[in-house]
Amino acid sequence: MPLVKKPTLPAPEPVPDDSFPDDWDLPARLAAPAASVRRAAVRALAETGGGDAARTLCGRLAVETDGPVREAIFLALAAIGGDEVAAGLLALLRHEDPALRNGAIETLQQLPQPVAPRMEALLADPDSDVRIFAVNVAGNLRHPDVERWMLSVLRGDRHANVVAAAIDTLAEVGTEAACADLEQVAQHFPGDAFLAFAQRTALRRIRGG
Amino acid sequence: MPGPQTMPQPQGIAISDEDFARFQEFFYRKTGISFDAKKRYFVDKRLVDRVEALKLRDFREYFTHLRFQVSGEEVQTLINAMTVNETYFYREEYQFRCLVQSILPELVRRKAAGERLRIWSIPCSTGEEPYSLALYLLEHWEHVDRFDIEIVASDIDTKVLEAARQGRYGERALQYLPQATRRRFFTRVAEDAYQIIDDLRSSIEFTTVNLNDPLQTRRHRDFDVVFCRNLLIYFDDLSRRQAADTIFDALQPGGFCCLGHSESMSRISPLFRVRRFPDAIVYQKPDRGEEP
Repeated sequence: MPLVKKPTLPAPEPVPDDSFPDDWDLPARLAAPAASVRRAAVRALAETGGGDAARTLCGRLAVETDGPVREAIFLALAAIGGDEVAAGLLALLRHEDPALRNGAIETLQQLPQPVAPRMEALLADPDSDVRIFAVNVAGNLRHPDVERWMLSVLRGDRHANVVAAAIDTLAEVGTEAACADLEQVAQHFPGDAFLAFAQRTALRRIRGG
Repeated sequence: MPGPQTMPQPQGIAISDEDFARFQEFFYRKTGISFDAKKRYFVDKRLVDRVEALKLRDFREYFTHLRFQVSGEEVQTLINAMTVNETYFYREEYQFRCLVQSILPELVRRKAAGERLRIWSIPCSTGEEPYSLALYLLEHWEHVDRFDIEIVASDIDTKVLEAARQGRYGERALQYLPQATRRRFFTRVAEDAYQIIDDLRSSIEFTTVNLNDPLQTRRHRDFDVVFCRNLLIYFDDLSRRQAADTIFDALQPGGFCCLGHSESMSRISPLFRVRRFPDAIVYQKPDRGEEP
C-alpha cells in the first residue's frame, strides 16, 4: 500500500496545454491535417473569432468530414447563436450527408430565437424533405408557436410524411385547440392507414383517453 | 383488460393514463429515464407537487409550461424531484465488475507493466465512487500491482470535496461493502462513523472541476477511463453535448466512459462507440483513425 498511486496533475494556474498562441492563423488551422488541431482551432475561433466566427465555422462545416470536429463546430455554433448561425445551419438541411443534417437539426433545436422567424418559410419550402426536417426542428424547439406551426401543416400541407411528422409532434405538444384540425386531417389522405392511426393516437393523447 | 384510469390526488388534481403516457414519453426523451406502471404513484405524486408549487390549474397547463419554458428551468427542477441523490460504496457494482473483467483487460493489452492507468471520477461527490474504484481494484483486479494506477476525483462543490478528502462515512454508505473489505480499509471511529485508511485517502487526487468550464477541464487529460455517472441527466441538451465533448477530450484514444444506468451516450453525442460488455454498456472514444 498504497497500491493505487497518487497522480500528479499539472499545476493549477499555468497556461493550459492547449491554449493558443496569439499569432495562430485560426482559419488556416481549421484546415490542418490533424483533427485534434482542427477541434482546438474551432474552440479558439468560437472564443476569439468575433463577428467572422459564425461564417467561418459554417463554411468549414460544409466541407469537414471528421465527426468529432463537426461536433465541436456544432457546439461552437450553438454557443455563438444568432441569425448568421441559424441561416448557415438551415442551409445544411439540404445537404446529402444525413449525419450533417442531423447535427444541424439538433443544433437548430437549441436556437429558438433566430429559428422562429424562419419557421413559416421553412414549412412552405417546395422540398418535402426540408419541410419534414423543419417539423423535426420545431418539435423540440422551446417556443410557444410550435402548436400553431404544426396546425398550419395540417391545414395546408398535402404530403403525407410531412403531415404525419406534424401529427407526431402534436401528440406531444398539442392542446385541445388542435383537436378540430386533427379530426379533419385524415380526410385529406383517404386510405392512408398509418396517418389515420397517428391521428387517433394524437387525439387520444390530447383528450386524455 | 382494465380500462383507462385516473389516479386520484389530493386537491383534485388528477393525472390520467394518457397524461402519464405523454409525460413518460417526454421525460424519457429528455433524460433516458423510463418510468413503468409500478412507479406510477411516485411519478404522479411529484407531478402534482409541481403543479401545486407553480399554482397551475392542472397537469395540462403544467405540461405546456414544462415543454415550452424557454429557460428549461422547470425540466431541471422536475429531474431533481424524480431522481434520488443517494450515494454509497459499490453503488451500481456491475460497472466496477465490467471495469475489472472487460475494460481493463482490453486497455492493458496495449500497456507495458509499470505504465500509468488513469481513471477519472466526476462528479465524485463525497468520495464514495473514487474510493469504491480503488477498493474494487485492490480487491478484485489481479494485475493491480502491475500498473501505476492514478485515480483523479473531481466535483464542482468544494464542500463535498472536503468531505471526500476526510473519508469518514456512516453505516448506510458502507452497507454493501463486504465485511472483509470494511475490516481491511476502514477504522471505526464512532458509533456510526468509519474512517477510510490514510493510505487509501492519500492515493486519490481530489480536484475542483466544473465539467462545462474549459479552463478547469483542460488540466484533466489522458484518462483511460472516465466514470461520469448520474450527472448528465441534470444538464440541458446543449450542456449535455458539451459535457460529452469534454469527456471525449479528457480520454485517451480508445479510452472508455461509464455513465449512470439511466443515461445513454448514444442519445447525447455522436462521438463515442457503444460497447456492450457482459456486465454493462459503456462508451468508447474511437482509436486513432477509427469511426465512432
